[in-house]
Amino acid sequence: MSAPAVVIGAGVNELVAAHMLARSDRKVLVIAERRNSSTEIGWVPPRIVRDLELEKHGLAIHRHDPWVATPLPAGGSLELWRDMARSVEAIRRVNPRDAEKWPAFCERMARLARLFEKLYLAPPPDPLSIGFAFRVRALGRHGIEDLLRLLPMSVADLLDDWFESDSLKAVLGAAGIMHHHQGPRGGGTAFRLLHHCVGNPAGVFRPPASNIGRVLAQLPGVGVRGAAEVARINVREGRVAGVVLSSGEEIAASLVLSGADPRRTLLGLVDPGWFDPAFVRAVRNIRCRGVVARVTLTLDRAPGFATLVVAPSLDYLERAYDDAKYGQVSRRPYLEARSNERQVQVYMQYAPYALADGAWDETRRIALGDSVLQMLSEHVPGLRELVTERSVLSPPELEALEGWPEGQAHHAELALDQALWMRPIPGWARYRTPIKGLYLCGAATHPGGGVAGAPGYNCAREVLRDLRRRSKP
Amino acid sequence: MPTPYDAIVIGGGHNGLVAAAYLARAGKRVLVLERRERVGGAAVSEQVFPGFTFSVFSYVVSLLRPEIIRDLDLPRHGLQILPLESTLTPLPNGDYLAQWSDHDQNRCSIARHSARDAEAYDEFGRLMHQMARAVKPILGMAPPDPASLHPRDLLGLARLGSHFRSLGTEQFHALCKLITMSAADFLDQWFETEALKATKAASGIIGTLLGPRSPGTAFVLLHHYMGEIDGVYRAWGFAKGGNGSVSEAIAGAARSFGAQIRTEAPVARVLIENGRAAGVVLERGEEIRTKLVVSGADPRRTFMQLVGAEHLPEDIVQAIRRFKFRGSSGKVNLALGELPNFSCWPGSGPQLRGAISISPSIEYLERAYDDAKYGEFSRRPYLDILIPSLLDPAMAPPGRHVMSIFVQYAPYHLNGGWTEARREAFGDTVIDALAEYAPNLKSAILHRQVITPADIEHSIGLSEGNIFQGELTLQQMFFLRPAAAWARYQTPIRGLYQCGAGTHPGGGVMGASGRNAALAILRDGA
Repeated sequence: MSAPAVVIGAGVNELVAAHMLARSDRKVLVIAERRNSSTEIGWVPPRIVRDLELEKHGLAIHRHDPWVATPLPAGGSLELWRDMARSVEAIRRVNPRDAEKWPAFCERMARLARLFEKLYLAPPPDPLSIGFAFRVRALGRHGIEDLLRLLPMSVADLLDDWFESDSLKAVLGAAGIMHHHQGPRGGGTAFRLLHHCVGNPAGVFRPPASNIGRVLAQLPGVGVRGAAEVARINVREGRVAGVVLSSGEEIAASLVLSGADPRRTLLGLVDPGWFDPAFVRAVRNIRCRGVVARVTLTLDRAPGFATLVVAPSLDYLERAYDDAKYGQVSRRPYLEARSNERQVQVYMQYAPYALADGAWDETRRIALGDSVLQMLSEHVPGLRELVTERSVLSPPELEALEGWPEGQAHHAELALDQALWMRPIPGWARYRTPIKGLYLCGAATHPGGGVAGAPGYNCAREVLRDLRRRSKP
Repeated sequence: MPTPYDAIVIGGGHNGLVAAAYLARAGKRVLVLERRERVGGAAVSEQVFPGFTFSVFSYVVSLLRPEIIRDLDLPRHGLQILPLESTLTPLPNGDYLAQWSDHDQNRCSIARHSARDAEAYDEFGRLMHQMARAVKPILGMAPPDPASLHPRDLLGLARLGSHFRSLGTEQFHALCKLITMSAADFLDQWFETEALKATKAASGIIGTLLGPRSPGTAFVLLHHYMGEIDGVYRAWGFAKGGNGSVSEAIAGAARSFGAQIRTEAPVARVLIENGRAAGVVLERGEEIRTKLVVSGADPRRTFMQLVGAEHLPEDIVQAIRRFKFRGSSGKVNLALGELPNFSCWPGSGPQLRGAISISPSIEYLERAYDDAKYGEFSRRPYLDILIPSLLDPAMAPPGRHVMSIFVQYAPYHLNGGWTEARREAFGDTVIDALAEYAPNLKSAILHRQVITPADIEHSIGLSEGNIFQGELTLQQMFFLRPAAAWARYQTPIRGLYQCGAGTHPGGGVMGASGRNAALAILRDGA
């Protein structure tokens, strides 16, 4: 009965969507445009684990403890643990007043995060619906106030309200700006900190790592076309008709789910002539400015840290952003290094995709790699001698390798005006597009990146809903 | 013992006066107590130098609610608004951008820089007009408490919901975007001319310590777009006689309804008995008793000083403590021997009769913000300039002129603090920045008055010198202005109300806070 469904891309979102469809007896073909990275960072929603039985297939989630370490200016480091009491002890050594406030702060954030856990595993809410109003009211007085206040504010203002220690504020504030073209004083960054709380226990502000990508890739039930690239999406009479690969091969399909970013999907793969100008303009206006470079170090042995953050203060982060604002690489960047056995991935921010003077070339990449290694070595003694291999990916290379438009991991910046019912654009936030049968399932859709598979999961459920609706007499 | 007053209004700023006028109009016996020797608060005209009159602080009228002008019949009490018909933005390359209130003239002027922008301008104008209309009914609302189960609040929320639904999806979405975006991002979607974007974005940063690239600034842009005089959107005006005549007119209206106004009567604290407002105590010790006290002071002054934390629940004390003021603007008032001669457009033609804006590009504004962010005043500040004597010759002696320069950024929390020397250095910076465009300026200056945020706080009592009685950012608006659950003008002290710009909908010589407060009081039957 079923015409095949084509899924463009083989990232976590695309594979979750593909397997959700396959479980409803759809024939699914995944066009694997690029190799999947082996480790995924992000909350793995339990509902996806359950629905796709990922545990049975070897899903392993690594929850680091301490979940973060940051060097202190006076020497030593601040480590934050999954255990609340242990974090309080660690913070007490830095600032006793902050330690007192830590549990209350974490509890307040966790309460809001629980609301978002629910919102993230469903299509974006309609803000004017009664249902949404009830959900928000269920937060109680403090919860509602926190929500209304926190969403638009800057993470710096939020943290200044609570804490005094520069190191503590910076390590939390960094979560508010990671992959974001704003500094900690920019509005909406507190929401991004909250985004990183979703799915985590109270007191943890960094997502876990997992092998979900590899597990999904090995899951049976869908066809996969490797080493192929989609050149075009065919549309006939306002309905999707299939895809054309760059090899020229045509694959007919009545359903196409694209994990590629909206600009490529809607303005590159589809002939934009199908859309009205206002829609095209809205898609063009999606902001996706990449700001990170990734340095991967292969070491002789494990480096002795799990997640290391170099960000001494909020002002330091803000100054790093000041450079990026004017198209310069941060002179003193923020580093977030995560180790996995003998490999260390360092995200260096800010490295703007569009440079004010010139382009990303070999010289700049080498200089960037050198400075990152230099900075890390200051905090990890002996690191330099351990490095056997190093690679540097600038934002344009991340764009090519990971399919991140302009190097933006979230595909569409996760800013407040591109979140929830405005993600990726208002009016088209529920995974559908003006082309019947064509859906978006990538990170640019609600709830965005950093939540493994949620956009794909929500998208597939909307597709199935449409199919059920259509099959009704 | 019976008291001669039904209500006492603390502070004779324009909002306090508006509240007093509405209460008096409803038959209440009202007394306004003003600390200074004249009413007006931040909306005052003063002869700072002999023969030269200045709107010392606030300097334009655009947001004053038309219903207030109507209800209080302000023109009869002397209010006359002279329209400002242009904005001139001189550019570093010797060119200029001029914007005019006349549609065709404006279009031609913008087309000189970009045909595309001239094209987009009309559509942009339509959108902003729609958005202003969408927001307008909300300005007159007492914000409901979203956490309350009181029928009044539920009704308010339902009304708000149905208002947004009535806008239709497209407009509602546009409004959501506008509320959450940065002014720079928002304008980037419409225009390509840097000076045009910057001059528009500038109104988004006024009164806040945010740069044009920070989300949340697009909304403040709308706030300033809502200016309407006689029902015309987007019009800015200058009050004949300076902004003090706005206050005088409102005071005149209040008096005509029977309100009494006492100047040089600083209030030390609100008298509280059994958790109820019982009157006020003046600084000189005099006690005036009444059952209804309305404070036009900002939230920090009202709650922390006039009431005192010991009388308040912990929640509101915390909320007021974290309410952000962070004044970010200053003012330079000049007495001039001759008109400035702008090299981009020499002479004393129509270009000088409107606003003059030093805002050549978004990057210029953003860099001005960078300085302030780290506690310095902008080395190259944003300036919004008027020459009121061209519109109202009575402001200066014949042949001479007054110039009002609004300056941003001048952070209240200046590294090392504001001193005499720093104030003069700040003044010099402003003059230097402007003299680049008008070389004769320095020799034309007869006198100058430099006002820093610290001066604003000291002279008219606005905490941290914030011209809006608290930053106009999304997290400090509507439900949350000044604190959740206390946004309906009432306070935890029965009989004590707030009516200043620190309440919804905020500052800008709008008068809406004063009016909303008075209406809420009358509704409550207090």
